[in-house]
Amino acid sequence: MRQKPIVLPGTEELIERIGWFIRLRWVAVAGILVFVELGRIILPIQFYRRPIYGILGVLILYNVVASLLLPLVRRGYRESPADKAQGVAPGYAGPVARFLLPRVPAGFTYDREAGRAALFANAQIMVDLVILAALLHFTGGVENPLRVFFVFHVIIASILLSRRATYVHATLGLLLFAALALGELLGVLPHFSLQGHWRAGGYLEPHLVATQLFLLGVTLYITAYMGTAIAVHLRKREVEVVMLSKQIEEKAEHLQVAYEEVSAAERAKSQYMRKVAHELRGPLGTIKTALGVALDSASGTMADRSLELVQRAERRAGELATMTQELLSLSRARGGRASVEITAVDPAAIVRKVVGDVQGSADQAGVTLAVSIGEGLNEIMGDPEGLAELVTNLVGNGIRYTPQGGTVTLGVYDAGGTLVINVTDTGIGIPEEDLPRIYDEFFRSKVAREFAADGSGLGMAIVKAVVEQHGGSISVRSALGQGTTVRVELPRGQGSQTATA
Amino acid sequence: MAHNKILLVDDDPDLVHVLTLVLESHGYEVVAALEAKQGLEVADGERPDLIVLDVMMPEGTEGFHFVWNLRNRPDAYFQQVPIIMLTAIHQRTPLRFYPDSGDGTYQAGEYLPVQGFVDKPVEPAALVAEIERVLTSIRRS
Repeated sequence: MRQKPIVLPGTEELIERIGWFIRLRWVAVAGILVFVELGRIILPIQFYRRPIYGILGVLILYNVVASLLLPLVRRGYRESPADKAQGVAPGYAGPVARFLLPRVPAGFTYDREAGRAALFANAQIMVDLVILAALLHFTGGVENPLRVFFVFHVIIASILLSRRATYVHATLGLLLFAALALGELLGVLPHFSLQGHWRAGGYLEPHLVATQLFLLGVTLYITAYMGTAIAVHLRKREVEVVMLSKQIEEKAEHLQVAYEEVSAAERAKSQYMRKVAHELRGPLGTIKTALGVALDSASGTMADRSLELVQRAERRAGELATMTQELLSLSRARGGRASVEITAVDPAAIVRKVVGDVQGSADQAGVTLAVSIGEGLNEIMGDPEGLAELVTNLVGNGIRYTPQGGTVTLGVYDAGGTLVINVTDTGIGIPEEDLPRIYDEFFRSKVAREFAADGSGLGMAIVKAVVEQHGGSISVRSALGQGTTVRVELPRGQGSQTATA
Repeated sequence: MAHNKILLVDDDPDLVHVLTLVLESHGYEVVAALEAKQGLEVADGERPDLIVLDVMMPEGTEGFHFVWNLRNRPDAYFQQVPIIMLTAIHQRTPLRFYPDSGDGTYQAGEYLPVQGFVDKPVEPAALVAEIERVLTSIRRS
């Protein structure tokens, strides 16, 4: 199986560097101007200014053209039908471009316009070499110490192009200079001496010319070697970075897949739990009812011991029925917003209903239930059944874990865009080390178990699930032996959008 | 109130059996059906004074559908026979199941035309009390 190659952002980099290259050329233009004018005044040297300024004009014109062409390298690219069929980037696939672009490891490729960008850079370096040679020719030829400026071109080639292309440019520079020097030495080309205070005349001495050529050659090739060595190293790093980011991307994808699998498993588990609870509920209810009837009708005729057994059985069946009901509520809330019908809910109505339901158990426990409902509460978008369960569980817990004579305070009010439900009791409290676990299913703290035997340990799990289902938050503060405060904040939600029309 | 005939519709035969015992011990005559279709037939034939209906039954014949099918029959009897549902649903939703006591108006879609509810699991005493409440209110009106 052939793997799809990883695409390196070659074009982008080349374009960026060619831009830098063009800016450097403006510096060169300014440098030549300053050099010529200052040279005349300070040194003083007599320049052949007309050809120099002519070349300078060409250089300026050419650099303007280059800077105009630069953005076009990226744009206006047309994919030929053949390329499309083969799925290759033609700019890169061309033999010249392939030669010019730095080599990349197997499994990598450049993006499609990189070849064109490389051709563009290559053409500029060549033109620059010729322009430098021409400038040198009119400023003393082999006698001009600025011949070392060929080094700059080699450095730029090593940054932009392949190692091979860099050596080609080094050679080209050397050949141009050699042609110039030998041409002048042999009298084929005219010699333009720098006159004035500049000592001249070396261009006719063969050993001097040979030495200059040799030194320039060595300089250029060493530069090519060093420049490309550094560039290759940097490119390797670049490839590593691309590879790393690719790997990270893949890892993230794996994680996403794993997350989705876990979520699906969680949903399946929740559905299973729901189904089981649903199936258990009916028979349990019947058992409880049947035992109740047996107790009612047989209390006179049954032996006390048997009666007690039936009583126990009835109580335990009731506990089981409650627990299955709570499991159903929990799976319902955990199913997210999709598993329930979200409607506009009047919190005050729900709170009043719940308070009506639990008032009896509060009275029975000798606990005062203090309720304060904010004036003109806004409706919130939510699941009425879940919200009723939330309030029931919070207030029910308060009542259950508060000793006789204590108080459970329920406050419901608006705060900004949220509904706040605050339940405070003067009960037994929750040990600090147990606080992180109170939302775990079936968890009951030791204090709670000692204080009240019954209780499924599902209440707070349901509360938390309902809070999350509604995108809200919950916080619990508790002091052992002093009481507990649970504060739930629920966003009001976008009423107009999801209202049950 | 003796000799009132009550129809029990529930898919749990054991519960039907237990509730039959309870209601008979309170002097009611009990007929039973284990699924909705049979329930409609029995109601048609026996004309009970009150129907006790489980809210959720399998095979898509839910208690709700039973209620609407029954109420939509042309015979005036079916529009009037009181129904008590075995469910805790009225505690859990903001739906209103009884017409407002004042002018008897209610909003469409928010109303289930039944007269009473008893939570599951069924407390026999609660069921008997609810049956008596409904029958008394019917007799009074």
